[in-house]
Amino acid sequence: MLSINNLQASVGGKQILNGLDLEVEAGQVHAIMGPNGSGKSTLANVLAGREGYEVTGGSVVYRDQDLLELAPEERAREGVFLAFQYPVEIPGVNNAYLLKAALNAQRKHRGEPELDAFEFLALVKDRMKLMGMDESFLNRGVNEGFSGGEKKRNEILQMAVLEPRLAVLDETDSGLDIDALRIVAGGVNSLRSADRAIVLVTHYQRLLDYIEPDFVHVLSGGRIVKTGDKDLALELESRGYDWTREAASA
Amino acid sequence: MSQTAANDNGAAALSAAETAFRQSLAGPMVANATVSALRAAGRAAFEATGLPGIRDEAWKYTNLRALARRAFAHGGPVPVPDDAAVESAAIGGLAGPRLVFVNGHYVAELSDLPTVSGLDIASLASLIQDPEAELPENLCRLADPGQHPFSALNQGLLEHGVLLRTHTGTVISDPVYLLFLSVPGAEPQTCHPRVFIDSAVDSSLSVLEHYVSLGSSQNLTNVVTELQLDRGSRLRHYRVQDEATTAFHVGGVFARVGRDARLESHNLHFGAALARLDLEVALNQPGAEVEMNGLYCLGGRQHVDNHTRVDHFAPHTRSTEDYRGVLNDRSRGVFNGKAIVHEDAQKIEAHQSNSNLLLSEQAEVDTKPELEIYADDVKCSHGATVGQLDQTALFYLRSRGIDAEAARALLTFAFAEAVVGRVELEPVRRRLETAVAGALPDRSLIENLIGADA
Ligand SMILES: Nc1ncnc2c1ncn2[C@@H]1O[C@H](COP(=O)(O)OP(=O)(O)OP(=O)(O)O)[C@@H](O)[C@H]1O
Ligand SMILES: [Mg+2]
Repeated sequence: MLSINNLQASVGGKQILNGLDLEVEAGQVHAIMGPNGSGKSTLANVLAGREGYEVTGGSVVYRDQDLLELAPEERAREGVFLAFQYPVEIPGVNNAYLLKAALNAQRKHRGEPELDAFEFLALVKDRMKLMGMDESFLNRGVNEGFSGGEKKRNEILQMAVLEPRLAVLDETDSGLDIDALRIVAGGVNSLRSADRAIVLVTHYQRLLDYIEPDFVHVLSGGRIVKTGDKDLALELESRGYDWTREAASA
Repeated sequence: MSQTAANDNGAAALSAAETAFRQSLAGPMVANATVSALRAAGRAAFEATGLPGIRDEAWKYTNLRALARRAFAHGGPVPVPDDAAVESAAIGGLAGPRLVFVNGHYVAELSDLPTVSGLDIASLASLIQDPEAELPENLCRLADPGQHPFSALNQGLLEHGVLLRTHTGTVISDPVYLLFLSVPGAEPQTCHPRVFIDSAVDSSLSVLEHYVSLGSSQNLTNVVTELQLDRGSRLRHYRVQDEATTAFHVGGVFARVGRDARLESHNLHFGAALARLDLEVALNQPGAEVEMNGLYCLGGRQHVDNHTRVDHFAPHTRSTEDYRGVLNDRSRGVFNGKAIVHEDAQKIEAHQSNSNLLLSEQAEVDTKPELEIYADDVKCSHGATVGQLDQTALFYLRSRGIDAEAARALLTFAFAEAVVGRVELEPVRRRLETAVAGALPDRSLIENLIGADA
């Protein structure tokens, strides 16, 4: 589904990704861990097509297309979803409106009929229940005045409504209380299927108790320096990151 | 003497406009002695200063050259627009009385005046020829002709307009709709209507002043509105300026707010080549309050100048102001907002904000929020911003599948909606939303948005 080859990228003139390789197949869940500033969010933003993130080398192929050629909105319509580490507040743009516009943009792109107000509301309410979110959130501005945890939950609500093929979740677990973590994990798990893939960026092994990954990668210095299964996360938890760097440079 | 005054303002000779104004001011007398006296005072005040020039501090950023070049005709025959044209210009769906003015003249045939209990409505033109007619005591007293040359001119030509008066303790739920149509003639026309609203003790009223052109008029509308709010009254004053982008519009709104009274002012500009509005509010008694909402949504080479001023004369008074500008192309906005907290006006609150969204590199805005505080126990804030669309928000929307143009339109709309959304009259709000959307690139998306929150 996603094939990243020797990816190099810079932000603000500073080289952040230094030849990153990653293969993600449909049906898989990948966890990416790594020290602060190692480039995890940079990778997520490059995949989503954020301006200012300059790809200086390498390639990203998503479902047989050159992902880097596509505008951010085209990527979204092709099924790429990024849950932001820091979701943006957009006062005045109604949460429900954004969801509906986003969903219909994708459906239109896929040649499916747009949902009318009724169908849309039924769908959203169902997903909100899944996310344990009060319906009053629908009529508020996007993330406007949401608490940190509510913002994260709202990201997953969007994901649950949009049902992306490839979801990249950037530290969606940080800032969540224990119950919210379980709910969010439930939301992610309900999306797991043979034709979808999920990339989780996280600092905490705890999330992986709820969402069991097929692979765990360590991103350090702009590259994947170690790959393992879920036990790697446990090992990182007890040993930290230093040894992975040594192992990589050895 | 008047010549010298003009020279002080840097003009070598009187401009075409000013010459025409002075001729109009020398027009015939009227039967009502009060009106005659008011006119004479207005005329004297205008002749003392003439048209303002850019050396006048209050007109620093608004050059009147284009206006001054035109010898506006005054008092010509009133064209009668056909019904269809009027209805398409008017905001439909409003219950309540509707008064239609064509180039300043009240036109009864186009108006709808059901009797509203607790409300008196009178056309000014019908009163001025009546020697016995009693005019409101404060007519022309809330607007100071010595401070405002255009108000002086308006007063000197006092003839048309409307007087509204509520009765004590009445709540009038349907809004009064004042529709001012500007219709082009063979040459540019000018009109000088006056609106006087007297909100009696504990009464409540909503009034909409709506300025529109039929066709691409180069007319000058010079209107003055006076608002008197007696104790405990509540007045919602909506002012929508949507004249042709070739027109000239000058307006003054002067309010005096009494004890525990509350004025809500909504001032929205979409039209005119050149528009200037002075909004001045005196909070005279404890408990007086004003909320000022403003929006200017401009494109082409439009120039809109809003000067607002609030005087906190009494303790326990409160003012809030939120003015926003959306400027495209080579348009220019001017905002000058003053809040003055006078001595002994303790425990007051004054909050002021002006934010501007520049959608083009050639668009410009001059903004100056000012606070003058002569009391010590006050809560005040003010601020101004000028910026582009938030790139992070743009990316966020695009990352959800919304294309770039639409995302831009959506954010711009949301920015303006913060002001428009405070308009409680549903049909008016719809019209404003459509007007905002009309100024944006991706209209279809926004129309969809307007439907979405319904
Ligand atoms: N605009 C910028 N200009 C310069 N450096 C930047 C810019 N944006 C990000 N960086 C730097 O890029 C590096 C990688 O940042 P990134 O956000 O990808 O880290 P991360 O792995 O997600 O960290 P964290 O775990 O703290 O979220 C950091 O050192 C950061 O300071
Ligand atoms: Mg990060």
